[in-house]
Amino acid sequence: MKILKALAGIFLSLRTAVWLSTVLIILLLAGGFLMPAHEEFQALQTIPLFQWLSETGLGLTWWLLAAIVVISLLAANTLACSAESLLRKKRSRGWLLTISPQLMHTGFLFILLAHLLSSYDSFQGMVMVNEGAWLPLPNGITASFDSIHADVGPTGEIRDWSASLSYYQNEQRISGGTIRPNAPSFIGGLGLYIKTVRPGSRPTALVQVSRDAGAPYALAGGILFLAGMTILLLLKVRRESDQD
Amino acid sequence: MIFFITLLLVCLYLAGGYRMPFAYAGLIGQAAAMGSRGIQLGRLPIVGPHDTLFFMSLSTALFGVAVTYRMEDRRNILSPILILASSFALFSLLYPPHDTPLPPVLRTFWFEAHVALSFFSYALFGIAAVLGVLYLMKADRKTEVLQYKAILVGYCFFSAAMIFGGIWAYYAWGTYWLWTPKELFTVILWLFYSLWLHARLRPWWYGRPMAILSVAGFGIVMFTYLGVSLFMKSSHSF
Repeated sequence: MKILKALAGIFLSLRTAVWLSTVLIILLLAGGFLMPAHEEFQALQTIPLFQWLSETGLGLTWWLLAAIVVISLLAANTLACSAESLLRKKRSRGWLLTISPQLMHTGFLFILLAHLLSSYDSFQGMVMVNEGAWLPLPNGITASFDSIHADVGPTGEIRDWSASLSYYQNEQRISGGTIRPNAPSFIGGLGLYIKTVRPGSRPTALVQVSRDAGAPYALAGGILFLAGMTILLLLKVRRESDQD
Repeated sequence: MIFFITLLLVCLYLAGGYRMPFAYAGLIGQAAAMGSRGIQLGRLPIVGPHDTLFFMSLSTALFGVAVTYRMEDRRNILSPILILASSFALFSLLYPPHDTPLPPVLRTFWFEAHVALSFFSYALFGIAAVLGVLYLMKADRKTEVLQYKAILVGYCFFSAAMIFGGIWAYYAWGTYWLWTPKELFTVILWLFYSLWLHARLRPWWYGRPMAILSVAGFGIVMFTYLGVSLFMKSSHSF
């Protein structure tokens, strides 16, 4: 019982949050200087974090493994503090001021969940396709690149590019669309991105196919964080104005 | 031409420490200079170290004038902020302006919002660092409260910038997170100011420790902005 009480005391403490954040910052700083010096980190752009961690030596991954442990503790601390704050202040006046930091905390937890999911289940592949080519996707759908366009400037530079495509399943056309920079196409949980093109009599495009399982949770977390932050800021500004 | 305009702006800002109309003239002049460059380029001039330092200078002066509005000892607080804004403007001269058309991946609202909000937050963190130094010289409650407000608003801008950057990255590269030093240092910076805002709630940290942390925080800002972009390979390299 005493141990449980002590544990609850630790996880309900703001001091714990401060020290965990300090340790996390130190670990990430170490990683920030280690990362540019080692080519091995480049593989992280294409394979999920947990797969990379299992294939890479402890000499490069120690700071990431330690950071994951600290982030887990920080998540538990955030959850405990938020729950305790809501229970303690449920009858207090100024409900919005009570709820807004907890909205931010929930957003933060959603973003952590997004990273957890992305670290387990993400996929990225690159392929060169010709105009008229068929590309079988990992979800069983096939993409047909009907046309590839390049907007070439007077000095030969490629100013913009796009590709029109159709999706087929069981030899039936199910949908289609156009992809261009910053405007990908999504089908069956996969995203198709056009990276660059090579114009010519038979234009070619470099296409990225990717899946990021954490993306919807990251977006939800971002929206919750922004909502909580905006409410908190407006209330704080109003309170200051009232005090003036 | 850019050289002489920048020098004139710096003179106005430095004189603004003595007479406010000079500061206002500098602010209007710098906004006009950025506006005309934007019209000339057909986009927001916020790409490359020259333009971003110039934008950071304008943001610092703008927020400096705004946060010190109605303060009794305005001149004492605004003068060092305007010196900081002048330093950014002078540093921008060390780099050539980026006049070429933007690559398609940068032509999006998310990129412009991400960059503009980032530099608003950097400017506010810079102002907080100046206030931190002033607090260390003369422990004054008003300075401490102003420092807190600057960091709170800066933190909000920075968080929004990170979220917008994530949305842009997802549309541009298929993931909201890239494993590059810039992203890692950006998270370090966000965690640092999260730590600052939480630590301020504990009495032990209140006062001098918070002032020292705000100065250290601006060191991380400058390293994240210039150090990482110039010396480490990342999606944000200049």
